[in-house]
Amino acid sequence: MDKSKLVFHSIALITLGAVFLFFWSLIEKRDSVGPAAAPFPKLFGYLYLLIPVSLLAILLGVVCAFYVEERLTETSWLRRFIESEVAIFTGIPSLLYGLLAVEVFIACALGGLENSVGMLFYAEVLTFIFLVMPLSIRTTQAALRSVATPIRESAYVLGANQWQVLFNRVVPLAFPAIFAGGCRAMSRALATVALLIGIHTWGYTPNATLSAGIHSRFVLLLVAALLFSVLSSFLMEKSALLQYRK
Amino acid sequence: MVDKKYSIETENLNLWYGDFQALIDVNVQILAGEITALIGPSGCGKSTLLRCFNRVNERYGNVTTKGEIQVLGKNIYDADVSLPELRKTVGMVFQRPNPLPISVYENILFGLRIHSPLRSLTRAESDEIVEEALTSVFLWDDLKDKLKVRATALQLEQQQKLCIARLLPLKPQIILMDEPCSALDAKGTLAIEELMSVLAGTYTFLIVTHNMAQARRISSECIFMFLGELIEHRETQALFETPHNSKTADYVQMRYA
Repeated sequence: MDKSKLVFHSIALITLGAVFLFFWSLIEKRDSVGPAAAPFPKLFGYLYLLIPVSLLAILLGVVCAFYVEERLTETSWLRRFIESEVAIFTGIPSLLYGLLAVEVFIACALGGLENSVGMLFYAEVLTFIFLVMPLSIRTTQAALRSVATPIRESAYVLGANQWQVLFNRVVPLAFPAIFAGGCRAMSRALATVALLIGIHTWGYTPNATLSAGIHSRFVLLLVAALLFSVLSSFLMEKSALLQYRK
Repeated sequence: MVDKKYSIETENLNLWYGDFQALIDVNVQILAGEITALIGPSGCGKSTLLRCFNRVNERYGNVTTKGEIQVLGKNIYDADVSLPELRKTVGMVFQRPNPLPISVYENILFGLRIHSPLRSLTRAESDEIVEEALTSVFLWDDLKDKLKVRATALQLEQQQKLCIARLLPLKPQIILMDEPCSALDAKGTLAIEELMSVLAGTYTFLIVTHNMAQARRISSECIFMFLGELIEHRETQALFETPHNSKTADYVQMRYA
């Protein structure tokens, strides 16, 4: 690993560390209050709200990837920073994110912060953005790169400008792969939500009637996650065929 | 502008990729309406020089260019030069045929579409343009029933001809070719060469080739480059038969390659 890469990875790791410390401090606060049953209805309300949020995060990731891939040069420090961050974030198991999200939620709920619901929601949103966006950025970038250089070149030498090349040629070709990446990110988010519900149901409540209803939601979410995952593989396959044919 | 004797002139052209100097003090004048061949061993800067003339080099980043390049009497590094206009005037054909993965018809119109306002072309006009372009590269008879076919599904030779054809509606003055025949078989190579000799006169051709026989067959002037320097630039016949420089002699007689 060359020196500059090492530096960028260290910066990325330090940032990451800071984020985790922040979460940790919130969890500590929860523990000082003492364990109690989680306020479930509220939790689910938030978790379901997080699905549109992850959709937004995916979109944001796509935009970010376009910016990094098309507007920044290989040597730009911003690009290297973003790429290092993305590499680290995509490597973290999604369950960890999910647990963090729940911990934050409970910490806030039990820590006397119930009135500051807005802030609490933003914390959750941030967690989900951290979960979904890196994956979205990475897959979009890969998709944009997979549009072969000759295709870009042939449009450039006919006098197309960067935007024309991007919107006439690159986006249509990369779209299946970008969409597949979005589905994968969505599947990851859904699976995390499902796991969270599962863990909290079986971990905290002995109440059978409650856990039965939750059980069905858990299965539903897992099935949805699975479907998204299958859809993503299918689209990937499609786009691979497309690349091959051209 | 068209009557000018030279299409391209360079003065002390130097080019660096990072720290590596790929072109050293190149001074060259390309005759208008003729086919000029660029020969030399791999990595000698032929393609780099070619890519300077439509400024496509700049896309790779980390490229420094010094010196002057005049295309049709205009310095292409002037601030008021528009890249799309430059690339419209100076067309380029690549080593590997690279039609866009859309229909034959759309491939030919692609260049024109990006240079004209949206929906300004009528159906009749575009039909005519496509027919004209395909006829001038001798593809019309083969492809008139296949206009809707995806261009990447054609034979390589047809693809390469199509790559030439799609430049023509833009009315270029100069066509740069970077080893246009190296992906083609003997028949395809001949077909492209034939096409070039027909089109020469209307257009200025500058062709990079590793095939010495090809350079000899089609070009009227020939440039030999070696390690970024222009060694010899003369009439093809003279360059091959009585090379002035010993390096040229070694190369054209295939003592190294």
